[in-house]
Amino acid sequence: MAVQPTIASAPVVAGQDFHQDTTVKMFLLGAVGYFAIVGIIALIIAAKFVWPGFLGTISYFTYGRMRPLHVNGMLFGWLLAADMGLAYYIVPRLCGVKLWSEKLGVATSILWNIIIVSAIFSLLGGYQKGLEYADLPTPVAILVVIAWVMFGVNIFATIATRKYQQMYVSTWYLMGTILWTAFVYLTGNFATLLPGVTGVNQANLTWMYTHNAVGLIFTPAGLAVSYYFIPRASNTPLFSHKLSMIGFWSLAFVYVWTGAHHMIHGPISQWLQTISIVFSVMLLIPVWAVVYNFIATLKGQWHQLSDNISLKFLMSGTVFYLLTCFQGPMHSLRSVSAIVSKTDWIPGHAHMAVLGTFSFMAMAGVYYVVPRIFKTTLHSEALANWSFWLFLIGGLGMFTSLWLGGFWQGWQWNNPAIPFIDTVVALKAVWMVRFLSGIIIFSGIVLFMFNILSTAIGAGQRQTIAQPATAKA
Amino acid sequence: MLQKTDSNATWFVVAALGLFFIGGLLTTVAPPLLDKSWNKPFENTDPAKGPTGKLVGYTDQEMRGYRIYVREGCKYCHTQQVRTLQADTIRSGWKGVPAPVSTPDEFVNDYRQTFGTKRTGPDLARVGGKYNKQWHAAHFRNPRDLVPGSIMPPFPWIADNPQELDDLVAYLQTRGRAKDWRPDNDYEK
Amino acid sequence: MNDATYVSVYFSYFLFFLLACGAIFFFVRSLKDGYLGSDSEEPKYRMLHDDEGDLPTHPRRMS
Repeated sequence: MAVQPTIASAPVVAGQDFHQDTTVKMFLLGAVGYFAIVGIIALIIAAKFVWPGFLGTISYFTYGRMRPLHVNGMLFGWLLAADMGLAYYIVPRLCGVKLWSEKLGVATSILWNIIIVSAIFSLLGGYQKGLEYADLPTPVAILVVIAWVMFGVNIFATIATRKYQQMYVSTWYLMGTILWTAFVYLTGNFATLLPGVTGVNQANLTWMYTHNAVGLIFTPAGLAVSYYFIPRASNTPLFSHKLSMIGFWSLAFVYVWTGAHHMIHGPISQWLQTISIVFSVMLLIPVWAVVYNFIATLKGQWHQLSDNISLKFLMSGTVFYLLTCFQGPMHSLRSVSAIVSKTDWIPGHAHMAVLGTFSFMAMAGVYYVVPRIFKTTLHSEALANWSFWLFLIGGLGMFTSLWLGGFWQGWQWNNPAIPFIDTVVALKAVWMVRFLSGIIIFSGIVLFMFNILSTAIGAGQRQTIAQPATAKA
Repeated sequence: MLQKTDSNATWFVVAALGLFFIGGLLTTVAPPLLDKSWNKPFENTDPAKGPTGKLVGYTDQEMRGYRIYVREGCKYCHTQQVRTLQADTIRSGWKGVPAPVSTPDEFVNDYRQTFGTKRTGPDLARVGGKYNKQWHAAHFRNPRDLVPGSIMPPFPWIADNPQELDDLVAYLQTRGRAKDWRPDNDYEK
Repeated sequence: MNDATYVSVYFSYFLFFLLACGAIFFFVRSLKDGYLGSDSEEPKYRMLHDDEGDLPTHPRRMS
């Protein structure tokens, strides 16, 4: 590669202690912990599909209260916290300066933990707001807004003091995440509660939020992580800075229009459905621009996948991103929606987006970052490899079983001669496969958590051994 | 231009929010202004225009039941929308009468939208008047006693609480009743 | 539910027209500014080396 000399002659401007990274450590370790805790809840609700009486007579553990906890715990406790932690790592390095305020970062992390813990208790207690993804009760939602402002101020202030004027892609994506999330979150959690906002009007705002929670929070955050770690982990420059620009600006414009595609055929204005379908199909533009950029970056470097755990997660995440964002536009179409909408296909699709794509990207980041910020090596490369294969196999088992089951379910529903209960009984085998896949995924989570925590805890002991490796530069 | 968004954070912020707000405002603020049926309660006295009826507000008891429905997360498994699909109208129908399609004006009084995204159990948009209170009481205690093969969780803390049970059933009986769609008027109380 | 399907179609055409104009405008402007040369690709090389000392890696990954 032509660029190798650049890397070899990389100037070591400051010592290893230039970045303090306390905030990164706190956010990432917390996120990894919540990943495992919420993983247990995920398993319980998967088990409830197979054994409906399981933990069923205790109100705190009923399905309708555990599901919002699973969703919110995974989205905010694990994925967003991990993405935020990685942002605290990426942005100072891309800007060539220290984080603006390490103290503010630590305070944000503490507040975030308060939010997650209060979310667990309020959701199990039945104090849910009753709006999907915005289930957190209003006081907790206000805390989320405060934490987000603290995060935003810190990141933007860091960017404002940057050493290099031209910004790298990840910086745009993270700035976009902060800006859009602010408004998307306010829409879903507060605008929906305004007096007079009821019924379809409220639903429209909710779908704008739920869709963009994935599209304008986790997508740009996950892509920022990938845009940073794919080149870094493979030591290869990104294929094209300009192509990434097309991906970014088309994402900024297109995503927000698509909320109403959650109600195709439903009681919402037909023209709004049409608009959402058109824009859903246009989503192929930002997605393919990004995926091509990632794949082309690895041209000639694919052999690195064999022993680079971060790259394994990143590139399989990229493939899942391509798949999930092909499904999305396709089942916005009226004909496809008539079959798959409201079926088990949808959780299959959602899990490929949040687990398969963005969690894979975040895990790649965590595997890359944690050894570095603790100045050590990963506790075990072999275990990391195992966790990857467990995630991949469990994930594929879950996605494919839900897609096939959901499609089958949709066909059955469209034949009114089949009683509804028969379509439930028919899917029991699918839900069993999903539960077993869940166990495999959960084993992956446990290995991931164990590996990361062992790396962090054992850092002091291995530090001396790791020193000679720094001679690389 | 592109260079400015690339090198100047202020330019970037303005562009990113500008693009976001075009779609954001047009898809959230504009639709309720354009489509009046989103905020005007359903009322129809002309049989030629489809089912007649009038959407009335919730009573205090129905409202309490509504809050229980929200508290227990029922909407995670039950949708409340008869979509514009023939199968939906037949499945939500009763005794051979297909149910009318759900329209926005039937949901104007809903303080929490309950359209749902996942149909693990049957749709509840027209469940009002299909089953009596006794049926619901037994069903909440253990759904599998009445519907073998069901995977609905039991709700003993509701079945054992006469007040909550009454409230919740009262709420369920309102579902889909704005439109008088059953010619025999054989709704259960 | 009053159906405004046709209005929305014309609206979409109009919007796509604006979108295409905007894209071409920005492209031409950037071309004139000389932005689309190789200089603009600089961040992607710079991001590969930062101010940290180089890091201990797994022995097998060292090249």
